[in-house]
Amino acid sequence: MLVAQELPAPFTFLGGSGMSEHSHWKGYLVVDNGDSLFIQSSYVHDDKIVYGPDSDPTTMAIAGIQFMHSKGHHILSINLSDSVDALTVYLATGVDSMAHNEDLKFEEIEWDLLSGEEATLVVAKSNAESYDFEAPQDVEIIDADFFNDIEEAWRLEQEVHHVSQGAYISKSQYLEGARARLSLASQNVDGSMIWPPRQLDADGLRIPPESHTLLPEAQVESWTKLSAAGAPSEFSLRAPILGGIQTLLVRFEQGPRGVFLVTDDIEYSPKIGDTVHFAVRRIYAQEGMIRYGLKAIPKR
Amino acid sequence: MLVLLGLVMVDVAVIGAGQTKYGNHQLGLKGMWAEAAENAFSSVDHNFEPRQVDEAFIGSVAFGGGQLGNTAALLTEHSGLDGIPVRRVENACASSGFALRDAWMAIKSGQADIVVAGGIEKMNDLSAERKRFWLGVSGDTEWERLAGLTFPGTYALMARRHFHEHDSSHDDLVNISVKNHMHGFENEHAHIRKQVSFEKAESGFMVADPLTLYDCCPTSDGASCVILAADHIVQQFTDDPIWIRSSGAASDRLALHDRPSVTQLLATQKASRDAYTGAGLTSNDIDLAEVHDCFTIAELMATEDLGFSEQGQGGVFAREGRGVRNEGSVCINPSGGLKSKGHPLGATGTGQAVEVFKQLRGTVEGSRQVRDAEIGLTHNVGGSGATCAVHIFGRERNE
Repeated sequence: MLVAQELPAPFTFLGGSGMSEHSHWKGYLVVDNGDSLFIQSSYVHDDKIVYGPDSDPTTMAIAGIQFMHSKGHHILSINLSDSVDALTVYLATGVDSMAHNEDLKFEEIEWDLLSGEEATLVVAKSNAESYDFEAPQDVEIIDADFFNDIEEAWRLEQEVHHVSQGAYISKSQYLEGARARLSLASQNVDGSMIWPPRQLDADGLRIPPESHTLLPEAQVESWTKLSAAGAPSEFSLRAPILGGIQTLLVRFEQGPRGVFLVTDDIEYSPKIGDTVHFAVRRIYAQEGMIRYGLKAIPKR
Repeated sequence: MLVLLGLVMVDVAVIGAGQTKYGNHQLGLKGMWAEAAENAFSSVDHNFEPRQVDEAFIGSVAFGGGQLGNTAALLTEHSGLDGIPVRRVENACASSGFALRDAWMAIKSGQADIVVAGGIEKMNDLSAERKRFWLGVSGDTEWERLAGLTFPGTYALMARRHFHEHDSSHDDLVNISVKNHMHGFENEHAHIRKQVSFEKAESGFMVADPLTLYDCCPTSDGASCVILAADHIVQQFTDDPIWIRSSGAASDRLALHDRPSVTQLLATQKASRDAYTGAGLTSNDIDLAEVHDCFTIAELMATEDLGFSEQGQGGVFAREGRGVRNEGSVCINPSGGLKSKGHPLGATGTGQAVEVFKQLRGTVEGSRQVRDAEIGLTHNVGGSGATCAVHIFGRERNE
């Protein structure tokens, strides 16, 4: 299926020339053109590409930047569109932007992240004149009722006056751990990795701040699926639509354990010993602010 | 009172204990506490008046009831204890286990002679949404909660891992559920007085895979109260005191993923080690134990961590019925435990002490009596194991 869509100029689609490499990346479809990247959601609704149940421009922008990093591109700063949360991008990837750092000058920024009208993004050098992308073929039509219900749940959850009846994680509490949450930044004490970060040690000395990141793969040590009725109230609007929520206890190769939700857009029956990797996705919204975090995706 | 190298070693006894029925109460905080205190006061054999109390420690998470700050002052005001130093003790579900420990320490230190320890929780006057808020606030909110975990979820992770590492399965948890419902069936204070068959417990509604409804304790209203006295005045009140032979307590990291093991509660192991050492006893000496079975897997792990079975053998212990009243090696949860008796969070720890007090004095309903009970243990856990208090009680004082 060739998806017709509005791309940000100066990018255009080609059909089936084979000049671009298509792949799946953190739950999205990417087209790698070497010096530029086209990334889009895997889902279609009413002939439009739409975000999955826990994705948005911010999560996809992070995935796109991480893809470019994985290909050896050194993106230090980037121009972001207004639909992308610059602080979350910075915490997750270390890539700065004018929206996050007022000291940055436009002419110093070498990369652009351009949003399409649908759930599509392009990451490219700022001086790019034009790039051609071959459209990904394997999109999936999302169930209309599911899509509409999830959209409505997020809309309600994001209303400023909507105060979750769940555990209250204040903005400062969330931000204190956000870098570790979004990028697996961890402390290194004599070669032992500590994640999530801790404050003082048994000698009363402050543990050095996060200086390393954990490898973003881990093994499942245990898992559970909470019924919709038993889900924490932060998730009470969406859990019934999702049919419950699934959590994994995993151990990273460097030692630390963690607990992570599974992304909302996959069917997965976990087994102890499975390997998973991670993608930044929406967790929940509180008082108008979306809390982002890493969620697990099985490595197939 | 024992004077050793110039130090005064005070022994502490329980001289009275009482509680409300656990369940869905029409009473509010004041009414429930007054009922528990009244039952405790009237259980003292002679000469007791509330005005004799020096100090009070009252455990509560302050879940419902509408009085979060200064709860303890409100409660003592309505139970004839006006004017004494009092405070709310909060350590999640172990709140009153720690209130009991604080009361014990107050007397041990020589600062008080008669101390009240109690607990209370009003859980059923909130909407389902608000209830889930309170049920989640005692876990690690920043990491576990944002990974979708409530306590059923956290204990479900422990259960699945235990099944993976050891000779245990969900059938063992079903056996625990069936046993505790059987023990609680005739307990007039129990929230759920209903026996369940293995088949029914096995096929319960899935709450957090692999834990079903029959693996989870209910949310209960209730209050409990015990009265402690120093050894030199015990005889004024009773000829049949129950001695607190030791108190052990410990803490662990709040989040499950930060702990070295997810199939052992290190706080329980340390607290019980200290308690056994303090009493000069071992797990083999315990006749009955009220253990913190907020979920059936919690009881299975507790039987290991308290030393009633080898590590990893809690499933076998349950399978062989070794915790069944008057049949096994030690009676586990003669009251029905949290599973059947109920779990009004802040009231649970001292509620366990009420059961042990009555069992050791031989005053429970006849059919529930553990034969020849001389030594009992209480095990009260906060959250998923971040805090734990263990107490050992006996008909005799420490030698």
